[in-house]
Amino acid sequence: MNDLIALILGSGTPLVYAAMAGVLAQRAGIWHLGLEGLMIAGACAAVLVTSAAGSLLAGLGVAIAVCVLGSALLWVVIEKLKANPIIAGLGLTGLGLGGTDLAVQAVFDSEATVRSEIGLPRLGAAFGPYAHLSVLVLAMPVVVFALWVLLRRTRFGLQLAACGEHPFAARSVGVSPPRMRLVALLLGGVLCALAGAELALGSLQLFSVGMTAGRGFMAFAAVIFGAGHPVGAAFAALFFSVVEALGIKAQLLLGNALPPDLLLALPYAATVAGVWLSGRLRGGGQSSGAFAELRDY
Amino acid sequence: MQRAEAAEYALECQGVTVSFGAVMALREVSVGFPPGRIHAVVGQNGAGKTTFARVAAGLVRPAAGTLRIAGREVTTGAVNAARGAGVELVHQSFALPPSFTVAEAMEFGSTRHGRAPFTRAGLEARWRGHLDSLGVTARLRERVRDLPVESQQAVEIARALVTDARVLILDEPTAVLAPAGIATLFRRLAGLRASGVTVILILHKIREVLEIADTVTVLRGGRLIEGTVAARDIDAQHLAAAIIGSAPPEAATLSEDDRAALVGAGAGHAAGATIAAPAVLALADVSTRPDPEGPALDNVSLAVRAGEIVGVAGVEGNGQRTLVRACAGLADVQQGTITLAGRAATQAAPLARRAAGLRIIPFERNSEGLSLSSTLWENWAVRPLLLAGRLLALIDPARLRAQCDASLRHWDVRFTTTEQTAGSLSGGNAQKVILAREIDASAKVVIAAQPTRGLDVGATAFVWRALREARGRGCGVLLISSDLDELFDISDRIVVMLSGRIAGEFAPPYSLDAIGRAMTGVAR
Repeated sequence: MNDLIALILGSGTPLVYAAMAGVLAQRAGIWHLGLEGLMIAGACAAVLVTSAAGSLLAGLGVAIAVCVLGSALLWVVIEKLKANPIIAGLGLTGLGLGGTDLAVQAVFDSEATVRSEIGLPRLGAAFGPYAHLSVLVLAMPVVVFALWVLLRRTRFGLQLAACGEHPFAARSVGVSPPRMRLVALLLGGVLCALAGAELALGSLQLFSVGMTAGRGFMAFAAVIFGAGHPVGAAFAALFFSVVEALGIKAQLLLGNALPPDLLLALPYAATVAGVWLSGRLRGGGQSSGAFAELRDY
Repeated sequence: MQRAEAAEYALECQGVTVSFGAVMALREVSVGFPPGRIHAVVGQNGAGKTTFARVAAGLVRPAAGTLRIAGREVTTGAVNAARGAGVELVHQSFALPPSFTVAEAMEFGSTRHGRAPFTRAGLEARWRGHLDSLGVTARLRERVRDLPVESQQAVEIARALVTDARVLILDEPTAVLAPAGIATLFRRLAGLRASGVTVILILHKIREVLEIADTVTVLRGGRLIEGTVAARDIDAQHLAAAIIGSAPPEAATLSEDDRAALVGAGAGHAAGATIAAPAVLALADVSTRPDPEGPALDNVSLAVRAGEIVGVAGVEGNGQRTLVRACAGLADVQQGTITLAGRAATQAAPLARRAAGLRIIPFERNSEGLSLSSTLWENWAVRPLLLAGRLLALIDPARLRAQCDASLRHWDVRFTTTEQTAGSLSGGNAQKVILAREIDASAKVVIAAQPTRGLDVGATAFVWRALREARGRGCGVLLISSDLDELFDISDRIVVMLSGRIAGEFAPPYSLDAIGRAMTGVAR
C-alpha cells in the first residue's frame, strides 16, 4: 500500500504543480494549453544545465528562467498581438516539445536521452517507504494551500478572479486585466518549471524527448475538473495519477492477460471521463464572463 | 481667484472630446457640477451620456479636454486617478463578477484594510457595517448572480461607496427597476445627497428627471445643449425640445401621442380592439421545463386576438424571453397548449409556426435578428427562402436583391446597396430591416421583443407606427417591453409577468401604481 501511495505521489506531484499554473491562468481568464510545452521546457533545462554545470541550483534557476520567459512570450502573443489564447497555448506547447527535441539533438547529437548525476534532494531514510521521493513532493501540499489562500482569501485573488470572470468589472475598479494576467502567467511559469524539474529530476534523473507525454494536458484537464479551484484541481490531478498507478499495478498483476497499451491509456481515459463528469455535475453551459467584455462599448 | 472658482465644482470638465473611430461621441463638452446636489444628465440614445460618465470615471480617455475633481486636475483615462479623487461610477449593466459573494464584491474594489489574507468571517465582519449604514439588506454570503436586480443595484452602489466617494455617477439606474424600486433608489440617493455626496444621474425619462434632480444637463449628438440648469426653471416641454432638438425628418412626423410617451406624461388611449375577433395566438396553461436560459413559464395563459396589441410588462428576467422562445418553438413545453391562427401548434417546428404566420422581432437585434456579416439582401431573403420550403431549391439572387431593394425602400431604410453588410447600418435602420422582413402580408402574429431598445426618437416612432399598422391590418401583436411608457401608449391590454407567471392583466386607462405592484409581486 505504501508503495502504491509513493508511486501516486511521485507521478502526481508534477501534475499538481502544472495544474496550479493552469489554475492561476484560468482564474485570470486564460485557458492555458501551453502547460505541456512549459513543463517539458522546464524538465529539459533542468536536466541539461544541472548535468552540464554540475549544480542543481543552476539547473533550477535556468529552468525557472526559461519557463517564465515562455510565459511572458505567451502573454505578449495573447495580450499584445491579440491572438486566440487557446491557439497561442497550443503553439507554446509545440514550441516546447520541438524546441527541447532540437536542444537535445544540438547538444548531444542524436541522443534522445540525457542523464544527470545530480537529482533533487530526497526525503531520506526518516520517511521510510517514501525515502526516495523528492522534497518537492513534501512541498506540494504547502504550495497548494498557499495558492488557495492567495486566490480565495486575498484581495489580489479576488481581483484576479474578476479579471477572468468580468474584465470590465475589474477595469471599473482600476485593475488592469492584462497586467493581472501577466502576473498570473509568470507565476505559473515558475510552477511549470518546478513541475518539469520534479518530472525529470525527482526520481528518474534523466530527460528524454517527449517525456511529458501529455501530462500538461492532463494538468489542464485537472483545472477544468477542479473548476479552477486550487484544491479541487490538486485532487483531480492526484486522481489521474491514482488511475495511472492502478494501471501499472494491474499490468504487474495481470501480466499479458490484457494488452499493456490499454492499461497505459487508462489515465488519459480517466481524464476524458473526468472532464465530461465535471461538465455534467456543474450543469454545463455556465456562461463565462467573456460576454461581459463584449458589452464594454 | 482661479482656485476659488475651480473649487465651486465637485466635478468639472473642459473641452472634452471623445471619438470612437469616425464617430464623435462627445464634442468639446464643458460643464461643471456643484457639490452636494443631484444632477441629471439626459439625452437620447447615442447622445454621449454613457461616454460622458465613463470619461468622468476614467474608463475612457478623451482625445482632448481636461477633468477636474474638487478643483484639482486629474489625469484623464485613469480609473485609479478618478477613484482616488473620489469619483465612482455605477454601470447600467452592472459590473460585479456574478460568482462573487456580496462581501467579496465589496472587497475586490476596496483600497482600505491592506492586502493581507482574510478569513470569510473576517471579511463579512469588515463589510457588514458598511452595508447596514446604507440600508442594503442583501446577505453578505449571497452570490451576486442570485440577487434580484434591485438588490444587485443596491450592492453595486454600496460597492461604489466602499472608498470615500464624493461624486457618485449612476448610468441609467432606473432602466432595470420596477416603479417601487425606483422610489427606493431615489430615497437612497436623496440620503446620499444629505450626507454631502454629489450624485450625477444619467437618465432618459423626463418624468424621473423632474422628480429627483436639482439640475439638468442635456446632451445631444455629443454636444452640450444645456449645462446644469436648475430643474425648477425648466418644464417637460422645454426639456423634450432640448433633448430631441431641431427635428430630424423622421421626428418631425412624431404624433402627439408618441411625443407624450417619450416625455412619459401618460398619453390618452385609443379605443380597444373588437372583442369578437378570433385569437391568433393563444397559450393555455403553458409550463416549460426549466433550462439555464431563464425562468421557466408557469401555467401561462394568454391570448392575442387579431387586431390588438397586447403588451407584456415586467422587470427584465421574469420569463419574457422564455415566453418568446415558447411561442417560437424553441423552449421545451412541459404542459399546456399553444394555438396559432386557430390550429394547434404546441409541437410544431419553428418553421411550421412561421408558415402559419408567426413573425418575431427578437430581443437581440444584432445576434438573433440579423447576421451582421451577411449582406442586407441575404438577411432579408431568409424569410421567403425558408418559407418556400425545398432545401435544395435553386435561388435567384438577382430577383431576391430586387425584391429586397423594393421592400427596404418601402420601409424607409437608409442604405446604399443591398450588397452592404447588415453590420454597417445604424441601430434604427437595422431594426427597420427586421421589420421589413417580419411584417409582411402573410404575417398573422407579430411578437415584438424590446423593439425600440437603443433606438433614437425618430426610429422609435417609426417602429410604433409599424406595429400600429400591423394591428390595423388585422395582425395580433405581442409587445414585450421594459419601458412602461411605451406599453401604456400603444397596448390595448397589458399583462404583467413575474417569475414566469402572468401576475395580472390590465385594461386602459392604466394605473402605474397597480402595474408596478404587480411587477414586484406586492399584494394589493
